[in-house]
Amino acid sequence: MEFVMAAVVGAMFAAGTYMILRRSLIWIVMGFGMYSNATNLLLIVCGGYAPQWQAPFVGAAAPATPLMDPLPPDIILTAIVISFAVGALLLTLSYCVYLDYGTDDPEELV
Amino acid sequence: MRLLIVPVLVPFLTVIVLALLTGRAAAQKTVALASAAGLTVFVFWLLRYVDQHGIQTMVIGGWTAPWGIAFVADRLACIMLCLSMGVGTVVTLYTFWTVEARQQEYFFYPLFQVLLLGVNWCFVTGDLFNLFVGYEVMLIGSYGVMMVGATKAQVRETTRYLAINSIGSTFFVVGCGLVYTTVGTLNLADLAARTAALGPEQAALVTAVSMLLLVVFALKAGAFPLFSWLPDSYPVVPAGVSGYVAGLLTKVGVYSLLRVFVLVFRQPGHELALQVILVLSGFTMLLGVLGAMCQWDVRRILSWHVISQVGYMVMGIGLAANASIATAAVAGTIFYVMHHIVVKSSLFLIGGIAERVSGTQELKRMGGVLDLAPGVAALFLVSAMSLAGMPPFSGFLSKLVLLRAGLGGGHYVVVAVSLVTSFLTLYSMAKIWTYVFWGRAARATPAAPYRALMVPTAGLVAATIVLGFAAEPFLRLANDAADEITRPDAYVAAVLGERRP
Repeated sequence: MEFVMAAVVGAMFAAGTYMILRRSLIWIVMGFGMYSNATNLLLIVCGGYAPQWQAPFVGAAAPATPLMDPLPPDIILTAIVISFAVGALLLTLSYCVYLDYGTDDPEELV
Repeated sequence: MRLLIVPVLVPFLTVIVLALLTGRAAAQKTVALASAAGLTVFVFWLLRYVDQHGIQTMVIGGWTAPWGIAFVADRLACIMLCLSMGVGTVVTLYTFWTVEARQQEYFFYPLFQVLLLGVNWCFVTGDLFNLFVGYEVMLIGSYGVMMVGATKAQVRETTRYLAINSIGSTFFVVGCGLVYTTVGTLNLADLAARTAALGPEQAALVTAVSMLLLVVFALKAGAFPLFSWLPDSYPVVPAGVSGYVAGLLTKVGVYSLLRVFVLVFRQPGHELALQVILVLSGFTMLLGVLGAMCQWDVRRILSWHVISQVGYMVMGIGLAANASIATAAVAGTIFYVMHHIVVKSSLFLIGGIAERVSGTQELKRMGGVLDLAPGVAALFLVSAMSLAGMPPFSGFLSKLVLLRAGLGGGHYVVVAVSLVTSFLTLYSMAKIWTYVFWGRAARATPAAPYRALMVPTAGLVAATIVLGFAAEPFLRLANDAADEITRPDAYVAAVLGERRP
């Protein structure tokens, strides 16, 4: 399981790097999206997973089985929200640049 | 202490109020200045309070540390907050006359407050993941203020800045995840306590992870070899705002290096990261100043100097690898950060005034500002001498403290490099002086009114004189702050209380 996830995360980072290194703004935005999704998958692997783990609700009695650690999903949620906000900002920005200058390649703006 | 939320809450509410005041420039100016000035008074009070009563903490939502999100104000955090808000207030005042009326009516002031919000957030947080959140808020604000005006050069450079920072942010989250997996916590105090007790195998893993964070913070600080984005992007920031951006943003990186590599990572073998930092610092100062020598644009010269000065600050962090001089070296870094933020911001503000007086940014065509505006020349002379490290200004003392620590630890190579850098800085400042202030003026009168701008700038220049002549209390403060982070017992006890592992 971990090996498969590690391979997927590695492939996504490679793809994201390729996209961010392109000159077009829209590629950069998509590359950023790819990066943040790869990071979230990596965080899931970091948190660990086993089918017998319970949801982390503790009642009066001590739990019989190991509990899932709630913090990594919590971090992932926050990271999703932030990358969503930054992604929206970047998309708006590239659209505004396109409206103003008719290009989405910043290197053409000299 | 619940008041610790104030440095974050006030800019946050100000952003909302300012956004509601869209189209009313006068009201926006008043609110922005009142908010920044009020918060400045508060953070100075907080510094005094923390200095007298020890480290203050606050946890959000009733979850106690290390599970909840902790806000921690120690001396270092308070010093940085004071610098951030002091320069923020001065720059807010300065932009009254430099930012175009149309931009003032719309979203300039809200964006600048977002920047203040993010920077303050980074300083006051006691949690690694929250530091990342602060970074993101700060970056969104900085993209905004860099784009104000949206000229071609601004769009081009901001896009580069944005692409490289999105890579940095991703690495930061990955670093957080890996730290959590290896150590099991993200609270800075808890991390400091737990990493010190790690076995050799785990410690090696943590050292490896710390290198990832080193890349993130070095990128943010503009340290070698990750500085290429800086000299291109800072010159396009509107005059005035560049004072805050150049003064504070790279120093958030330096602050993170201090906080994370001196306070947090204490596993056996953590000195490796500090030794790497020491080597990087030598290259950073030398390449920064060599880059500055071959530039012919005032703001570019100053931007390259930001890099070389970051080298000095990072040098103090690197010297902390040697336990016997760690406190002295870190105190040197903290005092250097205080000096540098004040001087670098004022140089950028003075550069902005000189451009208004002469009507151009090109060094070779400026000339004669001494005749047109002698007051500006006086302000520049003080700041430039201070930057190059001439006595009696703050630059001399800050270098002296660092060099003494370096010589005490026997690090002669890096001390020699820093002395060479200091001489070359003097050359570079003399170049600006010769071309901008001496020579025959190309015009009979100043190109634009400039006198009002001298008031906020003079405030910052006065601060460098005070830091130089009355250095005793500031050095004492820097020493105490360094002591707090090199010996983290008090910090850990203040945050975790009874729950120390």
